[in-house]
Amino acid sequence: MVRQSTGLVFVLPALIVLAMLIAYPLAYTGLLSVSDQQGNFVGARNFATVLAARATPQAFWNTVYFVGASIVFQVILGTAGAILLNQNFTGRAIVRSITIIPWVVPGIVAATTWAWMFHTEFGIINYMMTAPGLIEAPIGWLTNRDTVMPVLIAINVWKMFPFVTVMVLAGLQSIPNDLYEAARIDGANFWEEVWHIMLPQVRSVITAVTLLLVIWGLNSITIIYAITRGGPANRTLITPIQIFRLAFDAVQFNQAAALSVLFFAVAIVIVFFYVRLVQSPSGGAR
Amino acid sequence: MGSVSIRNVHKSYGALPILHGVSVDIADGEFVILVGPSGCGKSTLLRMLAGLEAITGGEVLIDGQVVNTKPPKERDIAMVFQSYALYPHMTVEANMGFSLKLSRAPKAEIKSRVAVAAKSLGLEPYLQRYPKHLSGGQRQRVAMGRAIVRDPAVFLFDEPLSNLDAKLRVQMRSEIKQNHQRLRTTTVYVTHDQIEAMTMADRIVVMNAGRIEQIGTPLELYDRPANMFVAGFIGSPAMNFLAGNLQQSEFSASDGSKIALPDVGNINVDKITLGVRPEHFRIDLKGLPAEVITIEPTGAETQVMMRFCGHDVVGVFRERIDVAAGQTIRVSLDREKLHLFDTKTGKRIGG
Ligand SMILES: Nc1ncnc2c1ncn2[C@@H]1O[C@H](COP(=O)(O)OP(=O)(O)OP(=O)(O)O)[C@@H](O)[C@H]1O
Ligand SMILES: [Mg+2]
Repeated sequence: MVRQSTGLVFVLPALIVLAMLIAYPLAYTGLLSVSDQQGNFVGARNFATVLAARATPQAFWNTVYFVGASIVFQVILGTAGAILLNQNFTGRAIVRSITIIPWVVPGIVAATTWAWMFHTEFGIINYMMTAPGLIEAPIGWLTNRDTVMPVLIAINVWKMFPFVTVMVLAGLQSIPNDLYEAARIDGANFWEEVWHIMLPQVRSVITAVTLLLVIWGLNSITIIYAITRGGPANRTLITPIQIFRLAFDAVQFNQAAALSVLFFAVAIVIVFFYVRLVQSPSGGAR
Repeated sequence: MGSVSIRNVHKSYGALPILHGVSVDIADGEFVILVGPSGCGKSTLLRMLAGLEAITGGEVLIDGQVVNTKPPKERDIAMVFQSYALYPHMTVEANMGFSLKLSRAPKAEIKSRVAVAAKSLGLEPYLQRYPKHLSGGQRQRVAMGRAIVRDPAVFLFDEPLSNLDAKLRVQMRSEIKQNHQRLRTTTVYVTHDQIEAMTMADRIVVMNAGRIEQIGTPLELYDRPANMFVAGFIGSPAMNFLAGNLQQSEFSASDGSKIALPDVGNINVDKITLGVRPEHFRIDLKGLPAEVITIEPTGAETQVMMRFCGHDVVGVFRERIDVAAGQTIRVSLDREKLHLFDTKTGKRIGG
């Protein structure tokens, strides 16, 4: 008995901090979502309002598009980068350091820099493409309805793929050299080594990294908000930004809270199914 | 078929020479063991045969073809690693069939060839398991199975038994030997365990510090070691060495005791070393005195550590000896079985 209560005393401070940092905001958001601005209980009215708003489904699909496309390219590019950086070549240490720069640069700095580079009139990208005649007229990358989302996805991929590279590279480096040698003796060429040795061995790393990317992607706000604030015409409005604007532009904290609760529920469902999906049924591998 | 020729092969890592010109000819179907102390370059040589390590100088021929620059997969070899190097994410069956799968063999053929190899190694119950669910001995067998399935021209083994316990090692030793007798595939086998070498090899290559000391059948090396290194390396317990001088065809040990030598003709070196295998001591009342230091009866024989002619030597006797440490026994040497070496060069003297 005595020992149990001693243990409790030790974890209590941590529990209190956790409760204040996580449980309290969560509960308070829940409370806000069912009240009006005067604090009266209004039931599901806030939920009805945000669900009826035209922007909500649009933001939801934008989010799916943004997060999904980002992750696909982040994982492919990041893994390819890791495999490349795991090869022996001169200057490898330098290339490795350069590769992680995008991840280290603060999001807001990166976003502003890219916004300038993609600027229709003064951006270096239009300059480089018009000068040799690749395109005739400058493209409004960030104002054109069809290019703005792909551009933002590209910037997001650029920002986060080094994280995948670093993690997968660490996984690759823990593969014993014997395995590569055995594969070479068994007759594997480079691509067969990648497919049969490297990828299976880093599968668990990629799985964990992808989960992190999903969670971070669903919460990402910096890049889009700094560059387009969700525009043009809600084309890049993703749900986190919608929540943010609802709360701080429209000052509808209760509706923002309702949308947050909905988004939280959807995110949990997505993560739940992802975890179920990747848990290998065989359980034997690795 | 699978003959292997190693011709004056050199290896350096950067400026550091590791192998200083090694030549061995291995006939098709032969079981050759490379043996030597740790760090002498056995693994390096084997990895050069496999194509995992670049050849600095000289030539390696497999089946009459120079393979110096060929990648492993064009050499028709299979290798068993000390760590086994099984693919952890593949079942035993997939591990064994991997090379066939890479060579795009039909599925049915892979399955049947894996089944045959699994049967010969007693691996059938484990085909669907993953390596981490196997014992060390089973993993070792899978590694061998992976090599056997390919039916290569040459098998290369790098200390395949060193991770097993003593009993399993003896068992796997005879299994490897049986497999070789059945398949008759040329085999190059690296070990630092001279008992493994003696029991398994058709011929042994003794290496030391990047050079070959002697090549021969196990009994040739045992009976006529070319130098003191081989003499001391092959045989357990090791050969005893007595330093001394040659005086009128008699050996005079450093403490003055005299030992009659066999007729070895004219020798014109004065400092010589007498090599005596432990089993060539005999209890002899007319022999020289030896003070017993320790005595270890093993049942079948008695190992006696004793002070003899000013040296600590080990003798192995078939009879049971009932003496205590500190007592003196009298022993003589089997004159026809003595070995003589030039102390300075370490080389064998006479026939
Ligand atoms: N990549 C390398 N770079 C530099 N030196 C190396 C390298 N690989 C091996 N060596 C050196 O080459 C020598 C021979 O190594 P090798 O592995 O062939 O020894 P070995 O005879 O197999 O020994 P063991 O019985 O301990 O396995 C050693 O002195 C080792 O330090
Ligand atoms: Mg070795």
